[in-house]
Amino acid sequence: MDNCSHKEKKDLSSLLPTEIKGWKAEEKDHSYDPQTIFNYIDGAGEVYRSYNFRELLVRRFKREGKPDIVIDFFNMGSSKDAFGVFTHDLEGEEAGIGQGSTYKGGLLSFWKGPYFVSIYAEEETEETNKALLDMGEAVASAIQEVGEKPDLIAILPGEEVDVNKVHYFHNHMILNYHFFIADENILLLDQQTEAVLGRGVHQGKEYILLVVRYPEAGKAIQAYESFTEAYMPDAIEPGLVQTEDRLWTLAKMKDDLLIFIFNASSNIFAKEMLKNIEDRIGNE
Amino acid sequence: MKKKVITRRDFLRVAATTPFAGAIALSLKSGEKLSPNKARVVLVRDKKALISFNNPHPEVIQKMLDDAVMTLLDAKDPIESWKKLIEPSDIVGIKSNVWHYIPTGRVIEQSIKRRVMDAGVPDDRIDISDRGVRRSRVFQEATALINVRPARTHHWSGLGTCLKNYVTFVSYIPNYHPDSCADLAKIWYLPQVKGKTRLNILIMLHPLFHGIGPHHFSRKYTWEYNGILVGQDPVAVDATGLRILQAKRREFFGRERPLQVPAKHIFLADTRHGLGVSEPNRIELIKLGYKDEILI
Repeated sequence: MDNCSHKEKKDLSSLLPTEIKGWKAEEKDHSYDPQTIFNYIDGAGEVYRSYNFRELLVRRFKREGKPDIVIDFFNMGSSKDAFGVFTHDLEGEEAGIGQGSTYKGGLLSFWKGPYFVSIYAEEETEETNKALLDMGEAVASAIQEVGEKPDLIAILPGEEVDVNKVHYFHNHMILNYHFFIADENILLLDQQTEAVLGRGVHQGKEYILLVVRYPEAGKAIQAYESFTEAYMPDAIEPGLVQTEDRLWTLAKMKDDLLIFIFNASSNIFAKEMLKNIEDRIGNE
Repeated sequence: MKKKVITRRDFLRVAATTPFAGAIALSLKSGEKLSPNKARVVLVRDKKALISFNNPHPEVIQKMLDDAVMTLLDAKDPIESWKKLIEPSDIVGIKSNVWHYIPTGRVIEQSIKRRVMDAGVPDDRIDISDRGVRRSRVFQEATALINVRPARTHHWSGLGTCLKNYVTFVSYIPNYHPDSCADLAKIWYLPQVKGKTRLNILIMLHPLFHGIGPHHFSRKYTWEYNGILVGQDPVAVDATGLRILQAKRREFFGRERPLQVPAKHIFLADTRHGLGVSEPNRIELIKLGYKDEILI
């Protein structure tokens, strides 16, 4: 499934090692684009498409009598999307590789510059773990670019939510993966919108902060109206409702942004949190 | 008429009523009544089913399959039971699954093929395929389908089980991805599939109960369950498999840990598409074999 340009393929390939700790790369790499990715990783391909990925280069490493190791090297086209796809699955321990990483169950994931990298051992052993980490270091060192995280992250209050567990995304499918709001796209999210979702704890209960930036204020107005009509027709004041679990949801529009607090333990807390975020926007 | 939107609040409204509240909430959308039928599902387990990972014991598997199908259909011997499913004149597609990490595998495929042939179908009117079903002459002309695949969690649909196994019958799979594959059951009404499935076999030898990374796989999150689920209703089979996987997640993680993506396509196959039944009280579950750590 070699669908990408020869030049781009060659460039990506040069960033990957050919041998680490006795594991040697197979002769042929494989590459996939947004149309062919389902031939390789079926449904999960939607995640990478949701972050506008351009190309995936796959290199498999073999060592006699040992489990295979596979590097999935995604060119996401921008550091925002490399960071975003990394935040899709934050389970695991920080491995100290690239600009952010996780390690769990024989899988190392990290992002650096416009690239998201997943290195996977088909069986987890002490040896494969060491090889994975060495491969990760080698790839991260070969990537010269350093990317910036989306500025929207800074709007979330770091003292309230764990900024290392924030999800950044564009569309409705990914929002619902992390926090189901509605089966229809009532927030009018698309590939041009940017959203961050963080979780905090207040009085022992988890609450959700969601901030969405639209390409222009007019779209934010439409989305606010769409959301409030579908989600809070019984609002007790504009954008505020107590839901069936006796928790509170608050929605507010500010220029091209929509700000949401879900599962707040009280309406007072929801309003305090909203003010906190608005103050941060004002200080941007 | 304006389309009804199902929101988080619909789930909250019914959350306290039933563990299958999601199904009820989702059924609000269809307005259809639940089917009154009760479906039989057989779970068979044998401690000797596996020689090693992805390497089942052929004779044990054959016996497990035979016992399950005989029980399912109240038959006295394996061939009699398969003759209740398959006519000698049938053209039979055995819809397998080739997912690299846990495939259906040749041992199980051949166990099924053997019994289809025992029912009187000649070799040239049987095919076994997964991603090639749209190109296969046998599948194109099939009058009967046997649906067989391993159970696993799935990154996008919550669970990859019998219902999802027919996704390769469609020309453009992403058409079925919206709302985390909510309407996979629609595939079962396509002409090449509709009404043809005689048996659903969900392999639970070493299911995947949690997934990570792009490939959604780690051996760490599989376990030897040594089971096979068999039924004629794919929804009932999948709903039963889901209960076992959820129980395993509870046991492994030491707390209630729902699937990252709820496998709502299973409940919607019942409540929205009327393909089968999903609620435990409408499923007659018969258990064969050992009961240790059965989880259901």
